[in-house]
Amino acid sequence: MSSTAKLEPQEPIGAYAAERPLIELRNVSKTFGSVKALSDLEVAIQPGELVTVVGPSGCGKSTLFNILAGLEEPDPGNILRLKGKSSSASDLLGKVSFMPQRDLLLPWRNVIDNAILALEVEGMSRTEARKQAREMLPEFGLAGFEAQYPNQLSGGMRQRVALMRTFLFKRDLMLLDEPFGALDALTRTMMQRWLLDVWQKHKRTVLFITHDVDEAIFLGDRVLVMTARPGKVKLEQVVDLPRPRKADIVTSSEFIALKKTLLEAIEEESMKSFQVSGH
Amino acid sequence: MMVSMNSETSRQIARGIAGALLLAAIWELSARGLKLPAYVLPSVSSILSGMVSDAGNLFAAAQFTAAEALAGYAVGCLIGMAAAVLITMIPAARAVVLPLATAINSVPVVAYSPLVLLWFGMGMASKIVMVAIAVSFTIFLSTIAGLDRVDRRSVDLIRSFGASRLAVLWRLRLPTALPLIIAGMRVSTVRSVLVAIVTEMLGAYGGLGWVIYQAVLQIDFVKVWAAIIVASAISLAFFGAISFIERRYVFWK
Ligand SMILES: Nc1ncnc2c1ncn2[C@@H]1O[C@H](COP(=O)(O)OP(=O)(O)OP(=O)(O)O)[C@@H](O)[C@H]1O
Ligand SMILES: [Mg+2]
Repeated sequence: MSSTAKLEPQEPIGAYAAERPLIELRNVSKTFGSVKALSDLEVAIQPGELVTVVGPSGCGKSTLFNILAGLEEPDPGNILRLKGKSSSASDLLGKVSFMPQRDLLLPWRNVIDNAILALEVEGMSRTEARKQAREMLPEFGLAGFEAQYPNQLSGGMRQRVALMRTFLFKRDLMLLDEPFGALDALTRTMMQRWLLDVWQKHKRTVLFITHDVDEAIFLGDRVLVMTARPGKVKLEQVVDLPRPRKADIVTSSEFIALKKTLLEAIEEESMKSFQVSGH
Repeated sequence: MMVSMNSETSRQIARGIAGALLLAAIWELSARGLKLPAYVLPSVSSILSGMVSDAGNLFAAAQFTAAEALAGYAVGCLIGMAAAVLITMIPAARAVVLPLATAINSVPVVAYSPLVLLWFGMGMASKIVMVAIAVSFTIFLSTIAGLDRVDRRSVDLIRSFGASRLAVLWRLRLPTALPLIIAGMRVSTVRSVLVAIVTEMLGAYGGLGWVIYQAVLQIDFVKVWAAIIVASAISLAFFGAISFIERRYVFWK
């Protein structure tokens, strides 16, 4: 392991030289036919960080996740490093736990069997996988629901099952694409607090897409604001709020100042994306 | 959920029985009232008494036909599903095979029966082959349609867990296809009995189709009707069994 690391070319890592990033993207572009979704994107995520991503609709956030999950290969000329090791996107298949924008629960599997899907794919026996999942049920607020089928669950519960499926697939990097996007405001606040608890307990690196600036600040160590399409990082805002964060932190002056900065940046980009699509 | 399904099922069955009784009553009345000759329409009571007196014979023929239909059905289902899975795994073959299969399927299978009788003889084998052909095309097409229904995003999700093509097939594509596969299997039940009987009429040493053919030659129309009723009962029971399995195991959607 250490010998291969030595063979890697030593490049300046920039602002985050203190630790080696868990994952690092440079010059990542992605073109779909005539649509340029991402352009020269640069991102580095440190181990244990919770980084939130905001940006106008259609700016390429989900595309970025698809690349990180290994599902989509970026245009040639990119640099993609997992734990310092150069990789192509497809090398990342099976190495990142990915939660897509929809819960995509399988209707023929009950809660517990949906949660263990990734473990089964990995080759773990059903009995062992179910045992692990059962232990996690209370933490995900699903105790007593293991035998229910997805069509018997509320939206919030379905989302928790999808999150549990993602958590059970124990990988260093977790990608959550608008996990709370479809929930009502109240459920959403509960889920945010709950996610922070779970994240602090499990110490995983998380990349989290959202449309909600409050959510981005409340959860994140850093907020990445993306530009309108073609997407790249417009602003990396460090969130210096102490943890654990209480619900009333959203009314603190630091929080409001951060929110103002971020909203301005997002507003600028949203205007651009409207002008672009207006033509 | 289960309870409402069961009561719905039993209500359907009750309605079916009521309908059958009503039909039998009208049939009996018109056959007697209009004094129809047996070659036009024998009365229900005469058919029933004919069935009772010839029970041993009919039972043997029914067993014969049911065995052919079941064997052909099983073989046809396996071939149809296997071919569909294969075609889905090899997309290049699909463009050739799918139009061909649709074309062959649009000709009534009975058209192939003289050839099949020639190749496989007058025994059970030719009936099994005919049923297998008929069933396999239906199952092939419904399996393909089912496998195609899979959501690309679900495929992506399971691929992100590191799933191989085989794992995607087993854990995602086949379960997604199951409702359509089993619907095809339900439709095929009736078709399998029908094809077995028709092929028997064209040349056989036993079975309900053979009984019907012989009875027509002997101008014994009560016997013809008796065999038809037994054949319908087999079809209905087969259809009911698959429907039961469908309700039981395809509970989603
Ligand atoms: N497979 C694809 N084929 C063609 N175009 C695509 C594909 N995937 C994404 N795009 C295009 O790339 C752009 C970025 O899409 P993406 O889904 O990444 O946006 P997003 O930032 O996640 O948007 P939202 O916030 O609405 O979820 C869009 O214009 C979209 O139409
Ligand atoms: Mg998206």
